[in-house]
Formats: sequence, structure tokens, C-alpha cells
Amino acid sequence: MSIRAGRLRILAAMSGGVDSSVAAAMLVEAGHEVVGATMKTFCYSGEAAESRKTCCGLEGIRDARLVADRLGIPHYVFDVEEEFTRDVIDDFVAEYGRGRTPNPCVRCNSNTKFRDLLRRGRALGCDGVASGHYVRLDRAAGRPRLLRGADRSKDQSYFLWGLPAGLLGLLHFPVGDLTKPEVRERARKQGLATADKPESQEICFVPTGDYRDLLARKLLPTHPALSPGAIVDPRGRVLGRHNGYSGFTVGQRKGIGGGRPERYHVLEIRPETREVVVGPRHLLAVGGVVVAGLNWLATPPEPGRTLHVQIRYRAPALACTVEALREDAVELSFREPARAVTPGQSSVFFDGDRVLGGGRIRRVVGARY
Amino acid sequence: MYPTTEAIYLDHAATTPVRPEVARVMAGALAEDFGNPSSGHAWGRRARRRLEEARATLAEALGVSAAHVFFTRGGTESDNLAVLGRVRHDLAHTKSGHVVTSAIEHPAILEAAERAVVEGAVHTVIGFDAGVLDLDALETAVHGRPSLVSCMWVNNETGLVLPMAEVAAACGRHGVPLHSDAVQAVGKLEVDWGNAPFDLLTLTGHKIYGPKGTGALIARDPRGLRPLLYGGGQERGLRPGTEDVAGAAGLAEAVRLAVAEAPAESVRLRALRGRVEAALLGRIRNVRVNAGDRPRAPHILSLAIPGADSDTLLAALDAMGIAASGGSACASGSSMPSRTLAALYPGDGAAALRLSFGRLTRSRDVGAVVRAVVEAVARTRALVSP
Repeated sequence: MSIRAGRLRILAAMSGGVDSSVAAAMLVEAGHEVVGATMKTFCYSGEAAESRKTCCGLEGIRDARLVADRLGIPHYVFDVEEEFTRDVIDDFVAEYGRGRTPNPCVRCNSNTKFRDLLRRGRALGCDGVASGHYVRLDRAAGRPRLLRGADRSKDQSYFLWGLPAGLLGLLHFPVGDLTKPEVRERARKQGLATADKPESQEICFVPTGDYRDLLARKLLPTHPALSPGAIVDPRGRVLGRHNGYSGFTVGQRKGIGGGRPERYHVLEIRPETREVVVGPRHLLAVGGVVVAGLNWLATPPEPGRTLHVQIRYRAPALACTVEALREDAVELSFREPARAVTPGQSSVFFDGDRVLGGGRIRRVVGARY
Repeated sequence: MYPTTEAIYLDHAATTPVRPEVARVMAGALAEDFGNPSSGHAWGRRARRRLEEARATLAEALGVSAAHVFFTRGGTESDNLAVLGRVRHDLAHTKSGHVVTSAIEHPAILEAAERAVVEGAVHTVIGFDAGVLDLDALETAVHGRPSLVSCMWVNNETGLVLPMAEVAAACGRHGVPLHSDAVQAVGKLEVDWGNAPFDLLTLTGHKIYGPKGTGALIARDPRGLRPLLYGGGQERGLRPGTEDVAGAAGLAEAVRLAVAEAPAESVRLRALRGRVEAALLGRIRNVRVNAGDRPRAPHILSLAIPGADSDTLLAALDAMGIAASGGSACASGSSMPSRTLAALYPGDGAAALRLSFGRLTRSRDVGAVVRAVVEAVARTRALVSP
């Protein structure tokens, strides 16, 4: 169960979406004293205020407030723009600047959202923090275990590997045992304003959906990531030009120029030379990966151990072996070659449903070119 | 939900409850004077009489002419009417418009001025020097004969009283109309409004225990104003739309009582605020009273609290049953970076806490308020400095 017995005062993160609305409602139903909170993560003035993105901007705040009023709980808005800009947006920009593809939601969950809410919650006398993520916490063992959500199509454990292990026991994920249709059904039954709200897919601070606008604002125009470079094949032959490697992601197919006998994919981004390496699909497969910036939610695995690793959101976990483990990085070899292993993306380690930990993909090992 | 039995409301600058005398007047008007004041029949006459009684009551309370009282639907509308009404008039007649405001006006003035710029006017902002309005800059600005100078009487965030005599003198030397948003001044300061130096004055009901959605613009020369709305010509065309007779009656009664009680109430509030202020300054280290060294209205205590976070501080106070506010609240409910505090204290990012006192504040609340604020500040500061 994700909800502990006994009455607690819990700070419920409410984005204004249906999942966090139902999470708060379930805690209220379970008899807890719930305080709702929405984090204002970036400035919603100007164009952003005009956009009507879900879970974002004033609309999200308004919807969260409507739900809180319906549930009869207080609701506060916390302005975290400064921390969020520093910890999430600046990192996002820097990673693209290095030719990597970041997961800003992971960064936010790891560094900003939960830590900040727990901190503020303490000032309000709260014992814990809840969110609407589709994950479960197994509290039966001495040390809480983070598990995949029961609804595998909605499972969000990929985004939560960076949670500080010591804080897991203070967290609550009430919808982790439910499926998305069950969540919507509960929202409808309770008359929550967010019951039929569409899913949000975009990054909250990129309401236009095009992150390159943000990079253009944040990076100097002379930054290599925004400067023209060569599109080359694995043997170094120049196939064309591009207008900045920050527009590319490993595995991506578009934007390389057509007319080739077979469709080409981005194989690698080389920020030091500004080259974007492209090639046929079979060259995307690699034998292993080095993952850095590690966070463990369980005892780190010994070298030689087999585990499963998920290298993209919604991708299946791949069997792999731990080749080497250091304090700051782990090298894994895949049982079967893996495709589109993208530097900057999260790698999350699993033992069955249990999240063991994770990190950011630093580089691939055993490319075939 | 948090307990509310012992809750203390210290947000009178945001809004106030309708007082029983006002509610009674309004209930009577709603029940009996429902006619349309524009109708020629008996019901219309009755409603019209009630409306004009309200106008006369309000005018008498302030010592102004009833012919200069224009009922609106609130402070924001009165402010917009003053700024945009003046600018649009000038743009139509002289093809140029110019509005001069202080840097710490309410958004109803500043946003209206920004709108005026979109429509082709110029907006000059008069800043502050060490917390004092820059009268030299004002002098320069009025020299160019702007359409309007708008300067609030009392600042809503800090209680700062603006130097209206000096502002009016500067305007008078150049024949420039002066508007003042006085929503935080009426009933709080002893002002002889009838002889006060303004051409346009904004009033609102809900800050003085009257109904929300009611207000007035006192206009000593309404000919220089364009309306914002067009329709049936009510309020001599300046604010068309079937009149809210009960609202006008409630507003007039609220103004009458506020002005009558201002001498005693301002003394009471000043004493209450003084006790809270002294206790908090004694028990919280490193805290500043915003505009503390300037003339202030008696009902607002604005504290700058370095090392605290305004959102969390207010939530913690709410959890302890104390209703207060930060800077000004934006629609999201989160505190916005305050333009007022940025103008008065440039470069200072300290959290702001505004406690505003009023009829709901009792002498015996002081101890509980001080204890709660001290506790909430300690808890919030502990989060920032681990």
C-alpha cells in the first residue's frame, strides 16, 4: 500500500492535472490531513500566460485550486522559479550545449520538487509529501522500496530514480496502485474539475514545444551548439551541413537530408568538432553504456551481477551485466545490442519491478563503426 | 481543514467584511428599491431617489459636490476610468496623451497606463530616492503638461502616505489634472476631502466594510474624461449600465461611517499596530519595517524579513490561523516580486509580510499574533539556512 495507516499531515503536490488531483483526494479519503501545493516553476508572463497548456502556468494553478477547494483542503502556491531555473532549466540548456539530451523532469524530481516540498512542508508541520506519479512504495521491508506503477503503460519510475534514498520513507504515491482509467473514474465520481483533462506531454518550461527557442535565448549566439557544423558518415565523409548540433538527438531520423538510399539516423554528436554523425539504422546498436551521476535506492550491485536497465521513458528494460562500478559511474554491457543509447538520458536500473537506482548516460561502449 | 475558531484576520488591506449597518441599508434597498432608476414610473422614481440619496450621502461625507460623484463598480474601474478616460480624451482632441504615475501605484493604474501606451500615449514613471518620491522628476514631468498625474494617497503594500500636497502643488503650477487612488486612505487618515488637492479620486467599498463591486470616482471636472463603456448614458454617460442602487447605498453608508469613525479608528489602529510592531522588532532579529521611517497610514505593517520565504511564511501563518499577505498577490496566489518594494528598496530581495489591521482586530489578539509571527518566521528561516 502506498498510504500508511494512521493520520498524517501530508503536503500534496498538485500540478493541476488529474493524477495529482486524485492522489490528494485519496489521501483525504484515507483520513489524512492534506495540504495542497503547486510549485510555480517559471515565469508565466508573456507568451506562456497566453498558452493554455495543461499542468502548466496559471491554468494548472487554477485547476489545482479548484480541486483543493472541492476537497476542502488548503492550497498554496510556492514560487520556486529561482531554484528551478538554476537546478533544472540551466542544466537542461547546459546539457544540450554539450550535445546531450537531458530529462529535465528527472532533474526536477531529484533536486527540486520533492526536496523543496519536504522542506516547506516541515514549516507547515507536514509529515510527508505526496505526488501523482505512477509508482509504488513497498514499506513492508525495513527500507522503503520504490517499485514500478501497477499500470505499466503509465509507470513513471523512470523519472524518479534520483530521489534521495533517505527521503523515500516520507513520500506517498497514492495512484501508483491504480490504472489511468481508474484514476479518471475516481476523479469523475468525486466531481473533480480535472477529471477529463488531457495528458500533458511537453516540458513545462517549454510551452511552445520547441526547446531550441529556449536555447537560443539562454546560450550565446556564438555557442558551438548553435553554430553550423558538418553532417558526416561514420567514416568521416561530409554529407551535409547543419545549423547547430543542439537540434539533434541520437536515434533521430529527421533533419539529415533525404535522397539517401536508406534512411539515416543520428548516431553520435561530437560537440568538440560540432560534427553530427549519421548512418543506417543498424549502426545505432551498441554493446554497452557508461552511466554517471549515480543515485542508488538500494545496495549498489557488484560487478558481474545481472540486472535490467531502462534507457528511455516507455522503453522496455534490457538485460545487462555490471562490468565495472566506481563511486561516480557504472559500466554495463547489454545482453543484446541496444539501439539509440542517448548521452544525457537517464538510465534506470531495475530488479524486477524494484528501482535500484539510476544515472545519466555518459557515453556508449562498443559502437559498431 | 485548519481550525478557524481562533483564527485572526490581519488582511484588512486586501478586503473587509460588510459591516452590519451597511448590510441593513443594502437589504432594504434590494427589497424595496428594485426599480430601474431610468424608468419614469413610480418604481423608477423610488429607485432614482434612493440612488441620489446615496450620492448625496457620499458627497456630504467627503465634503464634495454630489455632481462630482460618479458611481463605478470598484476601485479598478475608477482607476482605469481616470487614466484611460483622460488619455483617450486627449488622444482624441490633441492626438497626444501622456500619463504620469508614481512607481508604486496599484496595478489598476500601472496596467492601465501600459494600455494607454499601446494606444499611443506616453507613460512617465516617477521613482523614489531613498524611499522619498522624486519631486524633481515630477516637476520635470508636469512641465510637459501631461494629460494626468496619478499618485496614490496611501500605498497598499506598505501604508506609505504619499506627499500629496507637494504633488498637487506641482500639478497646480502647470494646470495638470491630479488623480489619486485613495482606497487605502479613506477611513484610515483624517483628511478634509472637501478641501483636499485632487481633481479625480478613486474610492472603493470593500476596503471600508462596504460591498465588493462598488466604487466611485470623484471627478471635479468630468468633461475631460472619456467613458470606458458605452450604453444607456447612466452616470451622465461616464459609467453607463443600469445602476446598482443597493451597491451605491451600501457604498455611501460605508463611506459615511468610515469618514465619521476615522479619527477614533485611526488612533486605535495606530496603537494596535505599534504594539505588534514593537514586539516583533524586539523578538525577531534582522527585520525591517518597510517605510518605517516615513509617514504611514495606521492600518498597515509591512515587514521585510531577510532569510525567509514569503510563500512558506504565509502558508505557515495560515496553518496557525493567521491570515496575512505578502507583497501584492497575483492571480496565481503566489507572491509576485513587488514593484513597490523594488522602488522603495532597490536590490533588496527580502520576503515581505503585510499585516493589516481593522475592525476585526481586537486588542487581545496582539499576543497571539506576535507569537505566531515569531514562530512562523523562525520555522521559515530555519529552512533557508540549514
